Formats: sequence, C-alpha cells, structure tokens
Amino acid sequence: MRYKDYDIEDFLMDEFFIQWIKNPNDNNRHFWEKWLEQHPEKRPVVMEAVSIISAIHYKGKFAVNDSLYIETFENIIKAERECGHKVKNTSERRTWDFFVLFRQVAAGLLILFCLGLLYRVVFDPAVQEEVKEHEVVVLKKANPAGKKSLITLSDGSKIYLNAESEISYKAGFPDSVRHLRLRGEAFFEVAKESRPFVVETQGTQIQVLGTSFNVNQKENGSLTVALVSGKVRINDPQGNQVNLEPNEMMVKDQGGNLHKTNFDPLEITGWKDKILVFKKSTFSEVREKIEKWYGVEVRINGRINSNWSYSGIYKDETLENVLRGIFFTSGLSYTIENKNVTITNPR
Amino acid sequence: MPNPNYAKSDTTISIPLKLTASIKEYENKPDQDIWSAFNKGDELAFNYIYRMYASPMFQFGAQISNDEYILQDCIQNIFIYLRRKRGGLSKVQNIKAYLFKILQRELIRKINREKGTSYDTRNLGEAFFPIEISHETKLIQDEFDEEKKKLVEEALDQLTVRQRQAILLLYEEGMSYKEVAEVMELNEVKSARKIIYRALASLRVLLKNRKQTI
Repeated sequence: MRYKDYDIEDFLMDEFFIQWIKNPNDNNRHFWEKWLEQHPEKRPVVMEAVSIISAIHYKGKFAVNDSLYIETFENIIKAERECGHKVKNTSERRTWDFFVLFRQVAAGLLILFCLGLLYRVVFDPAVQEEVKEHEVVVLKKANPAGKKSLITLSDGSKIYLNAESEISYKAGFPDSVRHLRLRGEAFFEVAKESRPFVVETQGTQIQVLGTSFNVNQKENGSLTVALVSGKVRINDPQGNQVNLEPNEMMVKDQGGNLHKTNFDPLEITGWKDKILVFKKSTFSEVREKIEKWYGVEVRINGRINSNWSYSGIYKDETLENVLRGIFFTSGLSYTIENKNVTITNPR
Repeated sequence: MPNPNYAKSDTTISIPLKLTASIKEYENKPDQDIWSAFNKGDELAFNYIYRMYASPMFQFGAQISNDEYILQDCIQNIFIYLRRKRGGLSKVQNIKAYLFKILQRELIRKINREKGTSYDTRNLGEAFFPIEISHETKLIQDEFDEEKKKLVEEALDQLTVRQRQAILLLYEEGMSYKEVAEVMELNEVKSARKIIYRALASLRVLLKNRKQTI
C-alpha cells in the first residue's frame, strides 16, 4: 500500500512515520515535508496521527535528580574498586601491594575526576564560580539560554533556576538571615527554619519563612512574584510593602507600579517541571519563549498576521515537536539549522 | 618502594581529560562499536553509555516499580555486573533495547523475591506500564471534554499490559519494532507489529472519536 492510501491506523503502525515524530532527522523530515506538499488532502489525517503519537506517555514520570544520578555512578565505580582489593597473589608481593595501592589512588582520582566531570558536564548545571568575600565563599550559579537547573541548598531549600538567570549566596548561609540574590527567574521551595529566607532582586526584598513561590525579574525592570504556598512579604526600594497569600501574584510593571492579581500556576510555574506553556501568546511572545527555552535564535521570513496568537502546552518536548505543533497548524513552515530557527510565511 | 616507572606505564591515568570527549567520540558511532569499545575496557565508552542510558533506564524501570531504592539497586547492579564481565561480553546490536531488557528481568527478579510474586517478561503485573494521554498540543482554552476523556480511559483500560508496554516503547521511547521485540523478548519482529496492531484495534473507539472532531 502507498502512503497516499494510508488511513490513520496505517500511519500509526508505520515505523518510518513514527520515527519522523519521535526521532526527526534530515532524511525523514525531508521526505515527510515533501510528501505532505504533494498530498495536502492527507494533512488532517497526518496531524491526527501526529497528535495521537505525541499524546501517549508513561503515567509515572520518574525524575532522576542529580544526587541519585551521581550516587549511582559512584556506587558502580566503587564496587569496581572493592573488587580490586581482592587481588590475591603471594609472589611478587611488593609489586602487587604497590599495584593495589596505586589502583586505589588511581581509582580515587578517577572517582574525583568523574564526579567533577559529572557535575560540570553530565547535568550541565549552572556555571559555578566561587568568589571569596570576607573569608566567606560566595557561590554563584548562572544559566545561559536553553539551560535550566535544580539547586539544593545546604538548608534543604530547592531552587529551580530558569534559563538566562543567575543566583548568588554565601555558602552554608552563615548569617542570621538566609540571603540570596537573583537575576532573572527562579522558583523557590524554601525549607522551614527559624531564620528568614530573603531573595533580593534589583533592590526589592522578598522575605519568607517556609514557602514555595516564583520570582521573575525581567531585563526591562518588571518583576512578578507568584506565591504557591505559605506567606511572603515584599519590600521594594521605594518603600512599598506587599504581603501575598497563596495563589496571589504581585506584578510590578516597568514604571514601578505595583498591583496584585491571581495567576494560572501552570502558566507561571510550569517551566520548573519542563512544561512550556503558551496562553494566547502573540508571535513575539512565542518567539521570545522559544529562544530562551531552547537557546536558539528565531528569524522570520515574510509577514505574520498581527492577530496571530497561539495556545498550547508542551511537556519536556523537543524543539522540533514544539515548532511542528505551533507552526504546522497555522500554515507556517520552519527550518532548524544548528541554533537558528527560521519561520517562513509562504503566503 | 613504589616504582615510578611502573606508575608511568599504567594506563589508568592517561584518560583523555576532554570534558565532552565521550559524547564527541561516540555519538555518531554504531552501537556495536560502542559496545565493543566498552567490552575492551574503554572508560569513555562506559561514560557514554551511562550518560546516554542511565536516566532512560530509571524512567523505563519506574513503569515496573517506582520504588527508587529498588530501581537504583537494579540499575547499579547491572552496570557493576557488565563492568566485571568486560572482556567476555557478547555482542550487542542495540544498547538501549538490551539494557531495558536486562533491567526488566532484574526488576522482576527482585520484585518476585521481595513480594513473593511470580511475574516474568511474558507475564507482567497488570499495574505495570500505565499510559497517560496528554493533551499537550490541544488548545488550552478548549475545555477538556469529560466525556471524551472517559472514552479514552475506557479504551486504554481494554489494553493488556503487553499492549501498553509495546505502545509506550514505540510512541514514548520512539523505538523501532526490532527494538520493541528485543525488550519484550519476542523471537520475531512481526510479533511486535502484531501486538501493536491488536492494541490499535482496541483503541479504535479513540480513533473514531477523534475523527469526528476534525
């Protein structure tokens, strides 16, 4: 049977078709795009098959955090080393003793090296810098575009740091206040403790005891603080003070005006669970989000209708699938070349 | 006394220090080559395999047991075992499918021992491999139709655990039929196709329902 005679079940069975959705490459992408150009009448059924295949997921998402990942790796390497102990050989004892010792040292170095390597490369965590300040180590973590990270602090608090964002704090929180500086966006899950936890961003102080909340400070000077649970108090440099209750969000616009509003938790905090949310987003909003999320540059060929808007949710999806979802349905085409995305309006 | 010449000749310290070396070295190589390098004791090959497949193994294993300790224990035992057997490992065509297959065996063995069950690859627990239907590419402002959701869930309930596993390997993991057959320990690739075919037949309600909405 030819592809043009395929019904939805046939597409859903077809390995080459499924690979285009799940593992797109130059070969299958080229084929299916050309094929669809020649068979526009097949577009609806193809889109149905695409949406079914991409809708099927494991029910239980298991998040492998950094510590589990490292610990498992370490256990594997250590088991190896213990195995090395069991070398039994009575002749040439000296050489063996040295050899065993050497292997231990080498294995130790290897572990250290691997751990360092894992930290720096495998999880691609934020670039870490240490700056000595009054004998106290200040830790700084920064993410470029396209990268997010989860940081666990010594007090047990967790910080989801978004792309193009940076935090810095004194290692171990030696002071009576757990103080932290933020540029960009982060979601905080603060461990309860008697010492207050303060996030400072461009002079505005956000003070909490034990809560979870999202802070987004943009380069244009605007700031939002969205509270999921607990209580927070915000003091800005102009002397304004705002208290937030759960599900409330404080918005400070570019002009410094403050107001409170409700918010959609998925839209505001979804990013920390790798959920990319568009809610009636304009083209420039979509573009900005994609550039930040995937660390790419988006260019436009032709004009996009000013009424164009898009809503959709993507959980941990590839750039390819997101672009397909957004632009395919609106009749726009896209190409990806390294870190450059080009959107073309053929009309 | 330590012999410095001996130390210099030892190969364990001459590991290339390039940070992304293992990815660069292996990302375009066929699985057989990566596996045979690992078998020969190449630490970069091991590094690559761990980096590529440890997280997917946790994710896949969680569909059988979501107990973190059981998962971790089984996954590290597999790697410890494979590392000890280096030099005598048999050929592997597809690393991911092979690791999933032995992880499934290991998990089932451990669960059987701890819970006194008698599962095996062909007789999986009914609760294994649950499927979730997301509506990610749907418009958010569309209210999620409760009735439609119910239909989908009913259709999924009709699938057997082997059908769910095959569907997930194909659509969630993006595996080929050959890989699905390996993980599920089917002798023939066409058996994997048959399982998918039957599963889609059970899902016809879902397909029909969706067609009406176009």
